[in-house]
Amino acid sequence: MNNENEFTGADILLKALKEQEVDTIFGYPGGAVLPIYDAIFGQNFLKHVLVRQEAGAVHAAEGYARSSGKVGVLLVTSGPGVTNVVTGLTDALMDSIPIVCITGQVPSHLIGTDAFQECDTTGITRPCTKHNYLVKDVSKLSETIHEAFKIASSGRPGPVLIDIPKDVQFAKSKYISKKDISFREHRIKAGSKNVDKNFVEELVNHIKKSERPIFYVGGGCLNSGHQASQELIKLVNKTNIPITTTLHGLGCFPGEDKSSLGMLGMHGNYEANLAMNKCDLMINVGARFDDRVTGRLDAFSPDSIKFHIDIDQSSINKNVKVNFHTNTDITLTLKEINSFIDSNNIDFSDKDYSNWWGQINEWRKKECLHYEQGDEVIKPQHAISRLYELTKQKDTFVTTEVGQHQMWAAQYYKFSKPNRWITSGGLGTMGFGMPAAVGAQMANPDSLVIDIAGEASFLMNIQEIATAVQYKLPIKIFILNNEYMGMVRQWQELLHGSRYSESYVDALPDFKKLAESFNAVGVRAKDISELDDTINEMISIDRPVIADIWVDKKENCFPMIPSGAAHHEMLLSKYDKENPENQEKGKVLV
Amino acid sequence: MSSSSVYPTPINAFKQSKRSVLSVIVDNEPGILARIVGLFSGRGYNIEALNVTVVDVKKNLSRITIETLGEEKVISQIIAQLEKLVPVHSATNLANLSESYEAEICLVKIEFENEEQDQKILNFADIYRSRTVQKRQNIVVYEISGTSERINKFLDDLDTIGGIKVELVRSGPIGLGI
Repeated sequence: MNNENEFTGADILLKALKEQEVDTIFGYPGGAVLPIYDAIFGQNFLKHVLVRQEAGAVHAAEGYARSSGKVGVLLVTSGPGVTNVVTGLTDALMDSIPIVCITGQVPSHLIGTDAFQECDTTGITRPCTKHNYLVKDVSKLSETIHEAFKIASSGRPGPVLIDIPKDVQFAKSKYISKKDISFREHRIKAGSKNVDKNFVEELVNHIKKSERPIFYVGGGCLNSGHQASQELIKLVNKTNIPITTTLHGLGCFPGEDKSSLGMLGMHGNYEANLAMNKCDLMINVGARFDDRVTGRLDAFSPDSIKFHIDIDQSSINKNVKVNFHTNTDITLTLKEINSFIDSNNIDFSDKDYSNWWGQINEWRKKECLHYEQGDEVIKPQHAISRLYELTKQKDTFVTTEVGQHQMWAAQYYKFSKPNRWITSGGLGTMGFGMPAAVGAQMANPDSLVIDIAGEASFLMNIQEIATAVQYKLPIKIFILNNEYMGMVRQWQELLHGSRYSESYVDALPDFKKLAESFNAVGVRAKDISELDDTINEMISIDRPVIADIWVDKKENCFPMIPSGAAHHEMLLSKYDKENPENQEKGKVLV
Repeated sequence: MSSSSVYPTPINAFKQSKRSVLSVIVDNEPGILARIVGLFSGRGYNIEALNVTVVDVKKNLSRITIETLGEEKVISQIIAQLEKLVPVHSATNLANLSESYEAEICLVKIEFENEEQDQKILNFADIYRSRTVQKRQNIVVYEISGTSERINKFLDDLDTIGGIKVELVRSGPIGLGI
């Protein structure tokens, strides 16, 4: 046996990570991954970021992936290390974020004996990963890792987990380079590379015929890459068709452009939802007709012809039946649409949709995002607006937690580029934003990274401030502090007779002192007179900052399509009353 | 609360639901059956019958045949979800093929008490051309194959004979596009 060509499982893992151009890994050591940590000790291409709890590692990997377009990687130990990342893996699956999670496992001969820190890792994570592996044979390790990266990033991206028993980390084998592996197409599921010409032609014909078209763009556009967004901008400019984006689509199209109707859905803009309701042609680009977006399905955009571009076959006709669909990559499809229009000299200048835009501008006059900022208590909407104004000239990434602050951030912070907005949409994971900011800052060391947070969410992964401090990551945590789980309180107010059961967060820490105790910086704004100075101070400090912004405790997030209601039944303010029949029906939905 | 449910009632859903037989070719690797079964339970689909066997040792392929109930929309969604699983090569609804053949095998053990019962059993076994596997004193074991419907009918007919004890095992339907 030639020992020179053989490496331990731990070394093979590192060689594979190097070949995959991974330079950052988030992790937490433990008994079952010690051989890998030993290998990490003796190298310098890979920067390991020690989180304070495994949940932090997985959200950081998500933040890293979303903000960089690369695969995020994390390393955790067996048993509790694994169970702590289950939420994050599910989050990444729901939001199609490419991550590779390496987990240690008890040695092969102990599997099944209820050994210390043993759990059925592949069993537990099977429904919350795109794919997972238990590597029992070290000779299969190289191939498994390279396939995992390929699967995580191909087609509709998602999390992939590799469980490596401790004895396999010690065992020796040859390393196989990814160049020498022939990936099997059926396993990678990269989607078709052939653009459906028929689809393109049908779409262009329908655009020409339509009176009230709309683009409805989702996170798939983001995952297709920056070029997708470039092609989209070209197409919108060419056709003058209004465009609305989902929560994850924000940034795929410049939020301040005149063609942008902003976000749609439960807390989306009035004009966006009404336009979806009344359109005669809907062009869905990488969105999945999620229940937050569609509202009541039987009243969803009743009069439109629907086109759907989505790389995931299972997203087609799942919630909403569409007339035309294609499973080819968005960039390729949009490119073909643009070149079809150009090469056939199709001119849309006579088709300016002036009646349609006239109607939309009428809806815009409702000013659905209007709020009254008094001269004392800070309105949360105003806090976000000011944050936007004071940071928009900078190279900024925004992460969020989950709740009212997240929706206000989506409504009032405008994004002009993709990958700048990192939020937990599908799963709605409180505690996501701060570790995600750690990941985003690792990927973008010179950028301004802000976690727009609520105090309740922030407390869920508060330990990660220590990570930010240790690695000198100057992330900013911008807390809209209303002392409530605001979204829970809002639903209790609207649907449960204002019985605020357990939604008031008593005994909150002093966030300023808390920051100081972690060796971070704390700043605070108690009223409107302190807001701008506090934001400016926060931005100017080159260290992790917690900004405790005291906002109106009773403010609710509007506009709102209540659960069970349709797009055109939107509530614009607390003075709008919901149809009581819908209310009863909505109560049992989420 | 109003007394009627806001969710579409299952009765309506089942009215439109059809029996479908899905044929799935997969890499024969650990966990693949769990992935498929987990997909069905996790997404609320039904498995009426399930059959798994290696069909190509060299290429390491298994064929999994699943009988399920659902409206057409649900069946297409199941197929799309199955095809997303990494080890799955293909998932086919046999009903969508221009031609397919379906069969099931059933072993039935019958204990009877008297001559009259024996005669009736023999008669049905003859009609359905089932093969006698074993017969001694008051016990007879038959093997019957064919469509699931045919086996159901045979079992229904046996049911009309009072006082006998029946124990059985069925393979679940298997099928092939032709």
